[in-house]
Amino acid sequence: MNRFAFFELIVAFRFMREGLMQTLLIIVGVGLGGGVIVFMSALLSGLQANVVRRTLNYQAPIVILPPDQVARPLRAAEGAEIAAQVQPRSQRLRSIDQWQKIRDQVERMPDVIAVTPIVAGPGFVLRGDASKSVTITGIEPETYFRVIALDEKIIAGRFDVGPLDIIIGTELAKDLGANIGDKFRLATASGATATLTAIGIFDFGNKGVNERNVYVALRSAQNLLDLVGGASAIDVKVRDPFTAETIAQTIRAGTDLQVESWIVTNAQFFTAMRAQILTNTLIRIFVGLTVALGIASVLVVSVIQKSKEIGILRAMGASRGQVLRVFLIQGGAMALVGSVLGSLLAWTFLVIWRGVARNPDGTPMFIIQIEPSLFAIAMFAATVVGILAAATPARRAARLDPVVAMRS
Amino acid sequence: METLRLSEVRKSYGIGTPLELEVLHGIDLVLERGEFTALMGPSGSGKTTLLNIIGLLDRPNAGRLFIEGRETGELDEAGLTRMRGRSIGFVFQYHYLLPAFTALENVMMPILAARGRPDDEMRATAATLLDRVGLTPWRDNKATEISGGQQQRVAIARALAMKPALVLADEPSGNLDTQSADGVFDVLREINETSQTTFLIVTHDPRLAQRCDRIIELVDGRIVSDRPNPNVVRRG
Repeated sequence: MNRFAFFELIVAFRFMREGLMQTLLIIVGVGLGGGVIVFMSALLSGLQANVVRRTLNYQAPIVILPPDQVARPLRAAEGAEIAAQVQPRSQRLRSIDQWQKIRDQVERMPDVIAVTPIVAGPGFVLRGDASKSVTITGIEPETYFRVIALDEKIIAGRFDVGPLDIIIGTELAKDLGANIGDKFRLATASGATATLTAIGIFDFGNKGVNERNVYVALRSAQNLLDLVGGASAIDVKVRDPFTAETIAQTIRAGTDLQVESWIVTNAQFFTAMRAQILTNTLIRIFVGLTVALGIASVLVVSVIQKSKEIGILRAMGASRGQVLRVFLIQGGAMALVGSVLGSLLAWTFLVIWRGVARNPDGTPMFIIQIEPSLFAIAMFAATVVGILAAATPARRAARLDPVVAMRS
Repeated sequence: METLRLSEVRKSYGIGTPLELEVLHGIDLVLERGEFTALMGPSGSGKTTLLNIIGLLDRPNAGRLFIEGRETGELDEAGLTRMRGRSIGFVFQYHYLLPAFTALENVMMPILAARGRPDDEMRATAATLLDRVGLTPWRDNKATEISGGQQQRVAIARALAMKPALVLADEPSGNLDTQSADGVFDVLREINETSQTTFLIVTHDPRLAQRCDRIIELVDGRIVSDRPNPNVVRRG
């Protein structure tokens, strides 16, 4: 390594300094290209993380549901045929059979962080003359908040929902003209009713959810929806939301239950995200190619300009490998310095973006995490691209016949 | 002690084509240590081809070449490069200095290529060599900042950096005025006499050839004359 290091480094950097304008131009080119890639990557990952975070605010990554009820056709007697039209059965709210056992099994899975049973069904909130249709969700606060961060979304009151309490969204509170401490009647289609007190108001940042969802204690929901002791669904939180479908498939394989991952239930969002990733990848590839071609063309010219110097270096004992490395170092160094410049540029733009892209209420439009790892990856990738781009001119330089090179 | 031996060395170009041309027809030559020899001949006589073969920059098609007793035909590309770096110094008609480096750095370059990293001993060797060719005041000047004669002296110092057994000089004063040419020749001669380095100098100039110990004439790829120079009295 010691033998390698200095001769090649010294010659490479002197060659670059000698063609300073060329070197600076390509560094600026790499910087602009690298800056675009880093800025776009940070912006896109921030945007995606934001959408994912907002979606998973009010939706569990995996939901386990009881199997659909199916109509069973009559079994034909031997030798006889039955002409029948089988209509699909209407689905009623049912509990998952032995949900406690399933909850425990799923909780033990390696990538599962939290599991919570819920009872969810339709109902009406009545207050005075006003009535609103809602989705009643019965929860066990201690486990539910580990899956859905409802406790963090409470903007007024508290979240430790008891048997006679209800938590409502901001939109519903506005529609009903209600506030903390007000009483509501909650009714279901079966005729069950309960009078509950609003103890908290939440804001998920989604009008539909804030208008439609109400949260009560699990036992209250079981009574209201006629599912005493039951759970209509089990919500599951996993370590990496993007592995939810794989884990859902594993759960599905061992049971006859319906297991839905948020990836399947938000297919449209994922299609859009994939399109965005593809576009970003294509832009990155083309910018990378442009940068690589820029470096390669500068070095091709450099090899031609310096063929006499290469010839004399070879004549006085420099090996082909040493000449090769001189040009590889130039490619890598220009790309590395350019990518540092690009990272600084991208960082500056990201900071400006964070200051400018704000909602009307002054909150950030979305949070962009400026990850040092992104810059490190960009610099590493740029250096590798630079070295690869330099490979062809470097090989050409190494293959130069010293006699021909000096005569040229 | 032999520094160089050539035995039946032949070189052809365009082998197997209608334009095949043999430029060296079985050259036999021995240079003893410390000899200061002129190689003369008209243009196209094969002088530069012979010098390139001796300098391991080209390979003969036939014959054997020994440098310091070691046959070079068995060496691969890397071996030839190593031997060239260690045993042979070159001085060309054009100096071929690296313009991005100072005079001192240019002289250090062959040692740096061999050892990989600079050190004080390397700097001291280069400084001593520049002193011997009378360029100490210009050691930190870029190669482009000194005169043609000075550039050629730097090239001579660079050729001696690895303490080679053999220095090949191809028209070393061809681009210089008479005064500078004499100065460069004086430097070569002084080095030869003090360090016993063997020199083979290609020159068209009979005046300079007359200052060598031995004069070889090459015509059409054949040595037609190889004689000691009675006019030279060695001081060493």
